[in-house]
Amino acid sequence: MEQFFQQLTNGLAVGGIYALIALGYTMVYGVLKLINFAHGDLFSIGAYLGLTLLLSMGLFDKIGALASVLLLVVMVMVLVAIIGALLERVAYKPLRQSHRLTAVVSALGASIFFQNAIMAIYGPGLLVYPHDLLPRIAVNIFGVDIPLMRIVMFLASVVLMAALYFFIQKTKIGTAIRAVAIDQGAARLMGINVDRVIMLVFCIGPALGGSAGLMVGLYYGQINFNMGWMYGLKAFTAAILGGIGNIPGAMLGGLLLGVIEAMGAAYISIAWKDALSFGVLILILIARPTGLLGERVAEKV
Amino acid sequence: MKQRICTLVCLSVMVCMLGMGTGWAKTVRIGLMCPLTGSWASEGQDMKQIVEMLVAQSNEAGGINGIQVDLVVEDDGGDPRQAALAATRLTTKDIAAVIGTYGSSVTEASQNIYAESDILQVATGSTAIRLTEKGLPLFMRTCPRDDEQGMVAAKTLDKLGFKKIAILHDNTSYAKGLADEAKALLKSEGKEIVFFDALTPGERDYNAILTKLKSSVPDVLFFTGYYPEAGMILRQKMDMGWNVPMLGGDATNNPDLVKIAGEKAAEGYMFLSPPVPGDLNTPEAKKFLTDYKAAYGKAPGSVWAVLAGDAYRVIAEAVAQTGATKSDKLAAYLKHDLKDFSGLTGKISFNDKGDRVGDLYRVYKVDAAGKFILQP
Repeated sequence: MEQFFQQLTNGLAVGGIYALIALGYTMVYGVLKLINFAHGDLFSIGAYLGLTLLLSMGLFDKIGALASVLLLVVMVMVLVAIIGALLERVAYKPLRQSHRLTAVVSALGASIFFQNAIMAIYGPGLLVYPHDLLPRIAVNIFGVDIPLMRIVMFLASVVLMAALYFFIQKTKIGTAIRAVAIDQGAARLMGINVDRVIMLVFCIGPALGGSAGLMVGLYYGQINFNMGWMYGLKAFTAAILGGIGNIPGAMLGGLLLGVIEAMGAAYISIAWKDALSFGVLILILIARPTGLLGERVAEKV
Repeated sequence: MKQRICTLVCLSVMVCMLGMGTGWAKTVRIGLMCPLTGSWASEGQDMKQIVEMLVAQSNEAGGINGIQVDLVVEDDGGDPRQAALAATRLTTKDIAAVIGTYGSSVTEASQNIYAESDILQVATGSTAIRLTEKGLPLFMRTCPRDDEQGMVAAKTLDKLGFKKIAILHDNTSYAKGLADEAKALLKSEGKEIVFFDALTPGERDYNAILTKLKSSVPDVLFFTGYYPEAGMILRQKMDMGWNVPMLGGDATNNPDLVKIAGEKAAEGYMFLSPPVPGDLNTPEAKKFLTDYKAAYGKAPGSVWAVLAGDAYRVIAEAVAQTGATKSDKLAAYLKHDLKDFSGLTGKISFNDKGDRVGDLYRVYKVDAAGKFILQP
């Protein structure tokens, strides 16, 4: 039983990251019906920018761990949001009226571009965040030892997701985003600036993905230029699992995928855990082709 | 515009003529296939630096018996698919022999391509057994084989007195081969294998695996995969507060391991490896170390890149002794006539299969400062 809870926390910690990245896929799909394949690389860019800022500013010596992590998160989110907006402007906007496949090819191209740009700038080897930036304490909850940072990481991803959910559901801009997701033409007739809404979506998604990259860097330490591929693939799966285009679906899908992986590793076989999680995805899609929460099409973003 | 095209044409003609010019002087063209990108990029960069340095030394000394060496480098990305492309490209470049590459699965993807073009291939880090069991006449390697490493691993685990052993690999040809080998040997010695499974390389979070490993209560964890994952495991193992001793295979012999894990987590970690030049007393090894430090300002990263240097040196020796630049002659010389050549990693001789013979493996341990210390 103790092992079960331990594995559950392992799964949730990994799943939280998947969910944060999955939000970027799902939001873009919601408004543009486009799979943004470059999203995984925006995640890597977040991790690399975080390291650069961390090393160049020496924050941890000046203002302490907590304040510097918060500042770092904000800076990385802003920078990656700008890159996301630029990506949309350069790679997707000119293709808005063309066939959907054209935009997908453009997305793949953008992904290759980002990956190689990171490699060219930072080098092909792996980089390592400095050690002992964060306190390495374990908290004992119901007989299960959980490193404090995992709890913080999980809570941070939940807070970010909740904030996004309320932003989409309760604010005027959020309503505009939902309107564009349902019908761009009608939204434009209602006086919504569709281009600006799409730009905004391309800021929010990458910002969340970038913050996930920073968290992975800070916690796991090791980053390399193609790390976004694996995380991107998993997050994309999570988005589909939860119902692509649906924000709570991406959160649920991410957490679920993390837990399935951990449980598969724990109780079946580690070598088979990826086969298992993708097998579950196939089963769910056979039973519910729109994903777990994909039914509420009218509310998708 | 027209003028520019004209200049371009002129330039390209000149370049062609230059190329032909060097073609007439006697040269031997040697290929190097190594992972310049991908997760083993630091190995590949070192391989390239070492071989480039040795080639430059050969050429400065007037070539090998007057034959100038022309090095062609291709990136295999540490990926079998890219390696096949790199190999195909190299076969069109009129090379006498090719050095490389690092990972066994990557080498395997390129083996037949070189074999069909009759090019001598000297692999440098590919230790999987079956690579030389295929009977390819022009394939050899400067690194030892997994069965030898498996034997040393079993002996080491036995010597350290471990009874319940957990084995973790990563499903690559190399890691799985070594894990299977060690498992069979340990079982026949009556040791208990409490855990045997594979992780997915390239992931960041191995906590699920470590939790499961911990519940099998092993005396020691034997990990046969590569250094990026070994570093992550050491780090996450410490975060979990689990301090089981860990022994690694030779693919974890890379200073990046300590960078990833941190000195505290890496301390006490042991691994098997051929000796690095710093631990050898031969004049060749000493000269190589001094030259490398002078050229690049630091010591070479790992022994695998140095084995690429040895691959170049045996090929150069074969060219020097036979005066030939044909693959079959070079291979015949290396397999039958080269005996106890003083390499950068100890004495080198090959058997008929193309395997390096001799007792190579040593046990290293990481000390508190993150240095790799050769164990007596």
